[in-house]
Amino acid sequence: MSKWRIFTRGLVRDNAVLVLMIGLCPALATSGTVRDGFGMGLAATFVLLFSNLIISLLRKNIPNEVRIPIFILVISTFVTIIDYFMQAFQPDLYRALGVFVPLIVVNCMILGRAEAFASKNSVFDAILDGLGVGLGFTLALTIMGTVREILGNGTFLGIPVFGESFKKSPVIFMVLSPGAFLIIGILKALINKYVRKEIR
Amino acid sequence: MTSTRQMIITLCIVALTCAIILSFVYAFTSPRIAETQKNLMLDGLQEVSQAVEFVEIISDTLWRALDSLKKSTGIVFRVFPQGYGGSIPITVGLDRDGRITGVRIASAAEGLKETPGLGAKITEPDFTQQFIGKCAPEVQLKNDGGEIDAITAATISSRAVTAGIRRGIETYAQYLGEGYDKRDVFPAAESFREIIRDTLWYALGESDTIGIVFFGVAQGYLDCIKFVAGVDNEGTITGVEIVYSSETEGIGEAIRDQEFLNTFKEGTAEAITGATVSSKALIDAVQKNLQRFKEYLK
Repeated sequence: MSKWRIFTRGLVRDNAVLVLMIGLCPALATSGTVRDGFGMGLAATFVLLFSNLIISLLRKNIPNEVRIPIFILVISTFVTIIDYFMQAFQPDLYRALGVFVPLIVVNCMILGRAEAFASKNSVFDAILDGLGVGLGFTLALTIMGTVREILGNGTFLGIPVFGESFKKSPVIFMVLSPGAFLIIGILKALINKYVRKEIR
Repeated sequence: MTSTRQMIITLCIVALTCAIILSFVYAFTSPRIAETQKNLMLDGLQEVSQAVEFVEIISDTLWRALDSLKKSTGIVFRVFPQGYGGSIPITVGLDRDGRITGVRIASAAEGLKETPGLGAKITEPDFTQQFIGKCAPEVQLKNDGGEIDAITAATISSRAVTAGIRRGIETYAQYLGEGYDKRDVFPAAESFREIIRDTLWYALGESDTIGIVFFGVAQGYLDCIKFVAGVDNEGTITGVEIVYSSETEGIGEAIRDQEFLNTFKEGTAEAITGATVSSKALIDAVQKNLQRFKEYLK
């Protein structure tokens, strides 16, 4: 597999959220606004990138029987690091993401990449894979956040888009949970139609 | 097949390394986290009060607001009434007369659980600014006989806010009256040590006693006047503040004028025309108490 393909695979074709349907809980819960979705995506990308890197480095030294506890240890270390840094430097974002930052630990997307890819491939490939899958996750959350914030709050990154009158009575439903399900359904349908034609 | 020993050793090494890394990260970020949280809290307090400094009375709940001269300008408190979706975190500032100086309701990002677009509109200035200048009985929805406009289709949230603020004022207003700050009348003091319970204190400088502060009561025209006064070691009055008085509005209440109270410091305090009884009573009582506590001065 070419290096370029390792990287791009996770972006769209095997997008964690929109195609594989994993890591859905944070995707649905933190995509109410662009900032939250993008922030969550970057936090998960950071964790995924470094956990892939470390696990790939250690892959020859990890006894097979205890690999899962070790993966979890490595992942939770990076989650705690991002948790502290976010609290210190991005307190608003930290409060908006709430419990979903510590819950990155159990995001099956990250453990999944560690088990399925990083523990079997070279360091460089693992980094490319982590970046690709992480950015794909970020992309999905940012798109969802954009649509939901524009329709549900009339703003993009907090800036009014359709003027004040729309902002006064937006499609509130979009920022609530049902809006998340609707948007993810529509995005999945679009991906199936235009990107994964073979499954039709 | 790896041996059990090898598994244990690998796990221990990984766990230990992770712990060491985390301890460094924690040491690096924890002062910053504490600072950020304190700033967020202070920003919230400053939004509802003009004061520059806040002295905590009840942890995370009640603060005394001080201006740049360390004089008390009122209090700030937080209440968490039950709204439609959960508790609503509200910060309220009160001036010394018990009127609201500002109301701030936490946004969804800070833990507000009201419905976006409906109940969550209680955070908007259109709603919160109605409270400024109001006192407790006026803080009710217009439907309930008060002066606050509810938010359309969000009556439960609006009512929760008014009820919560009113209850907060009732609970904490006691800290406005008796809650004087001895620094108001003795700004030079570093701290105070009580000599007679609730009545007399030593004002302490960096190492030594530099004067006294006493609490006194004068018989005013309508009601008693409670005051607090500071005197330095030379016998010069450093300040007089009214703690409680209920004299005739616009006449006897003139004793609360800062200009009049300042004349004590210059030793030129004279009865105020039109408020002779109240002002004389205060001057006499300050002098009488000063004589009484003179022996405590060095």
